[in-house]
Amino acid sequence: MEIIRTNGLIKDYLLGKVKVRALAGIDIGVDKGEFVAIMGPSGSGKSTLMHIIGCLDSPSMGEYYLDGDLVSKLPKRALSGIRNRKIGFVFQSFNLLPHLNILKNVELPLMYSGLGAAARKSQAMKILDSVGLSDRLKHRPNELSGGQRQRVAIARAIVNSPSILLADEPTGNLDSQAGGDILEIFSDLHKAGNTVIMVTHDSQVADRADRIIKIQDGMIADGNLSD
Amino acid sequence: MAISLTESLQIGISDILMRKVRSLVTVLGIVLGVMCIMVVLAIISGMNESTMEWMTQRGGLNKIEIQQNWNYDFRQGGTATLSLSELNILRGQIPEAKAINPSVSLYSAALQYRGFTYSGEVIGALPDMQIVEDWRPTRGRFFGEIDLRENSNVIVLGSSVARDLFKGQDPIGRKIQVNDHIMEVIGIMDTKFWENPGGGAWGGNHLEYMNRQAFIPLSTMMNKLSAGSEISSIQITAASPEEALSLQQKVNMLLLRIKNGRAVFRVDSAQQMMMQMEQNSQIFSMIFIMIGMISLTVGGIVIMNIMLASIKERTREIGVRLAVGARRVDIFVQFLVQTILITVLGGIFGIILGFSILDLVSGYLEMKLLAEPKMIVISLLISAGVGLVFGIVPAVKASKLDPVVALRED
Repeated sequence: MEIIRTNGLIKDYLLGKVKVRALAGIDIGVDKGEFVAIMGPSGSGKSTLMHIIGCLDSPSMGEYYLDGDLVSKLPKRALSGIRNRKIGFVFQSFNLLPHLNILKNVELPLMYSGLGAAARKSQAMKILDSVGLSDRLKHRPNELSGGQRQRVAIARAIVNSPSILLADEPTGNLDSQAGGDILEIFSDLHKAGNTVIMVTHDSQVADRADRIIKIQDGMIADGNLSD
Repeated sequence: MAISLTESLQIGISDILMRKVRSLVTVLGIVLGVMCIMVVLAIISGMNESTMEWMTQRGGLNKIEIQQNWNYDFRQGGTATLSLSELNILRGQIPEAKAINPSVSLYSAALQYRGFTYSGEVIGALPDMQIVEDWRPTRGRFFGEIDLRENSNVIVLGSSVARDLFKGQDPIGRKIQVNDHIMEVIGIMDTKFWENPGGGAWGGNHLEYMNRQAFIPLSTMMNKLSAGSEISSIQITAASPEEALSLQQKVNMLLLRIKNGRAVFRVDSAQQMMMQMEQNSQIFSMIFIMIGMISLTVGGIVIMNIMLASIKERTREIGVRLAVGARRVDIFVQFLVQTILITVLGGIFGIILGFSILDLVSGYLEMKLLAEPKMIVISLLISAGVGLVFGIVPAVKASKLDPVVALRED
């Protein structure tokens, strides 16, 4: 069953007065429970595709179905709810809020989904325990190593049990040891039935995925599902 | 799917605590503005209370006074006095008055007792004076209707007169000489006292002149001490301050009719004077409140600028919040609540500072300053209002950020 389906996704940007086409008709499908890597050189449009799949941005043209819903037609204000419930982001630079302790960082998506403080806390603690950080709850992000920070970010991404996990170069800022640990967590999450989409330019990282989609000049060069 | 106000408050408080020094500097304008407004409000309520106390001491807001109109040009004819028959006409027309006290004054009468002379004002009055001035003898009695009918030679002394003339002896029942007449002292009036609460240059008993007066029956005055004189001043007590205003107009009209259209008298009511004073103090306080408002506006603009800068700094945080599901309204409320928290915090500092300098200001201005609980409420509302007004622009700006752009920000 497809959890992601795009038909003819086009995204244009205005750079000054010049119109730039970042995506030039992308048709992809991702099955539920799949681990997909998206690869491509910088400027290929993979980040733009990632933003649209993550509902941070809307396509200029084309359709995007997430979990059966046509989200490309939704107004921008409706996208915040989709991001909150269906999507978990993991960024290259972790993007934790520096002034909050890691427990509060992980609670953040639950707060915006309206969960009460007590339920939030217990759920966040459970998830942090699963990534091995239950002894660091009151620490601020800058008191943790890069690998630990990324584990907090993963915990925050999965705390709301999203439909898809989106990772943008999640090992880009880590040494190989910590990077390997993080990839191990993604593998475990995938084995547990989660859909993982990972943007990377590292082929060793991409090799862990079920399938690699290559993007070049805003179009799919290789690796789409043959349907 | 919304984040609660408590949540926003918690975020706001932790943001403020994280940037303590900046928040403190941000809020300085509000602190000074609120302090200024606090002091002004205290001055106003202090002045109003002082005026009210004064009015109460002088017979309350029901009182109407008739005296010579100093603006009238007496070369055009007429005198600012009433004969007894004219007084009776006036009296017959205003049955609603609670008390009427016409009086004739002898300004430099010589009161003598055993060779000592006290020079002071002797006033011929009616027993109604006790109601009109809300003033009664503490010793002995005031003269009554029978004394008036018989032109009795009785006198009631003000407390200072009694003290200075008798030097510790009991004056009641003793005979004194007033000009050429022998009078029996039958009572001593209560001591009138009102002091400007601020003290200083305006200190002392403002009502001491009343303690230096002595009172005899009006008939005794008009028939014996000052034979042939007419009534120069009348005080009336109305049933209520509201009625005093209409009675004042009616009396003014009646006097014009009695005096053939000549405005030889002026009629004042305490209520009108009180309203006049309140109006005057309003102008004065408006000026200071304007100054406070300008200070608050400047403070608000400073806060708006700092919030705009802080949003620029926190663009990435906003991006992260949007990415994990914050709605635009959540971001808007977060920053608006934070601005309001800062200004309310400034308001609280301003109130504390304002209260702590009240005594200083009171001493410096030699005025009474009155702090009231409602001033705290007003100040807090004003500072929250400043936060609301000047927090909107930064909050809108924050909530309009594009998540993709915001996440890209360094």
